[in-house]
Amino acid sequence: MELDFSVLVPYMHMFWKGVCVTIQASFLGVLFGSALGIFIGSFRVMPFKPLRYLMAAYIYVLRGTPLMIQLFLIYFGLPALGVNLDAATAGILGIGINSSGYVGEIVRGGIEGVSKGQWEAAKMLGLSYWQTMKSIILPQAIRHMLPAIGNEFVTLIKESSLLSVLAISDLTMVGQQVRSVTYASFETFIFVAVVYLALTSVTSGALQLLENRWKVK
Amino acid sequence: MTHAIEVKDLHKSFGALGVLKGVSLNVDEGEVITVIGPSGSGKSTLARCIARLERIDSGEIYVYGHRMDAEKMSNAKESELLGMIFQQFNLFPHLSVLENVAMAPMKVRGKSRAEAENTARELLERVGLGDKIEAFPAQLSGGQQQRVAIARALAMDPKVMLFDEPTSALDPELVGDVLNVIADLARSGMTMMIITHEMLFAKEVSDRVIFMADGHIVEQGAPDDIFGRPQKERTRAFLQRVLSHYGAAVSEEAR
Repeated sequence: MELDFSVLVPYMHMFWKGVCVTIQASFLGVLFGSALGIFIGSFRVMPFKPLRYLMAAYIYVLRGTPLMIQLFLIYFGLPALGVNLDAATAGILGIGINSSGYVGEIVRGGIEGVSKGQWEAAKMLGLSYWQTMKSIILPQAIRHMLPAIGNEFVTLIKESSLLSVLAISDLTMVGQQVRSVTYASFETFIFVAVVYLALTSVTSGALQLLENRWKVK
Repeated sequence: MTHAIEVKDLHKSFGALGVLKGVSLNVDEGEVITVIGPSGSGKSTLARCIARLERIDSGEIYVYGHRMDAEKMSNAKESELLGMIFQQFNLFPHLSVLENVAMAPMKVRGKSRAEAENTARELLERVGLGDKIEAFPAQLSGGQQQRVAIARALAMDPKVMLFDEPTSALDPELVGDVLNVIADLARSGMTMMIITHEMLFAKEVSDRVIFMADGHIVEQGAPDDIFGRPQKERTRAFLQRVLSHYGAAVSEEAR
């Protein structure tokens, strides 16, 4: 069998759009997931126990169920409650919520990695719990967390391929469309895989740079 | 008159391990007391209970009439009463020296940046680190870090300063600078409670020395009495053991 990638050339503009959708979805997903995850993780270490257990349950469910089912629940399930979301919103929401569970655990680990003496010093200087969290603990924790959050971003780039089940035209969906007209299945999906690999590599590299810069101080 | 610190029959245990077994103690305004005693005697725990860093089992703790163990008090309010210096300095590593000192006055007291930084500069000057304001904690020696921590605590202008073994984590050659700063502070009239292993220092700066062992205050009194004429066998044994390290000059006085 001979591989002929030239059949894909006429569809490059479609692939490009798909790449943009994939990048957008995973970026917004990780952004939303991180923002939410920082709160989840912060609540997770709070002295106030009920909130702590609630967050533990939230993380437990999100990490223990498939992303695809979570996406289905948001996109096909929520309308039963009168909440209708378009596919893109539902997709980003789903990815973000799913990611917040993982980021929450990363944040918790990062926070717990900051020495207890930092809390004590801040308390003796009169800082409240949230002042301490925001100005003392999280800035230090984020440095410990950055590599893990970077991995989460890379994971999301790959997992966003599930958005195709909501008929969102991400890179994977475009691949399926191109395959259905060219019948060049192998070429199409090898190409799609290479593009994903490029995306994750560039992301990893950029995060590595960022991490090294932050380490200097 | 209200005491600066008043501790009544304080009990504290960690699990089955009794650490403080009925400690009572008063510190008056302007008084400098040092607490000495073997490791595990409960002296650090005593300071940490006063600072509300440990929950107590029973007893009462008052600082300027405020019931520390029962009153619902914000950290901001507590910072007006107590400042604390830790064995491990606990500087904020992501902030510069200046920011370490100026942050809490801004965030807690609502001071302007200019005002807070001015005070911070003066305090850093006072502890001999006026040239290090832009440095980060990791670039400083332990002794310098501890002096920044002292400036940071002073920036909140507390009524009482607690020192929890301020020089125990320092290399021997760095201890002197820190002790000098603390001694200056003692002379300035600050009310202070110092947990320490530095016997010479305790003898020199204290108005009163408290000897603790096994969760009790065994003996307390003027430094000359405690170091010169200890009444209790336990105190004598401890001082003999500790002071033998200091060489002839000190053991002469301890005799």
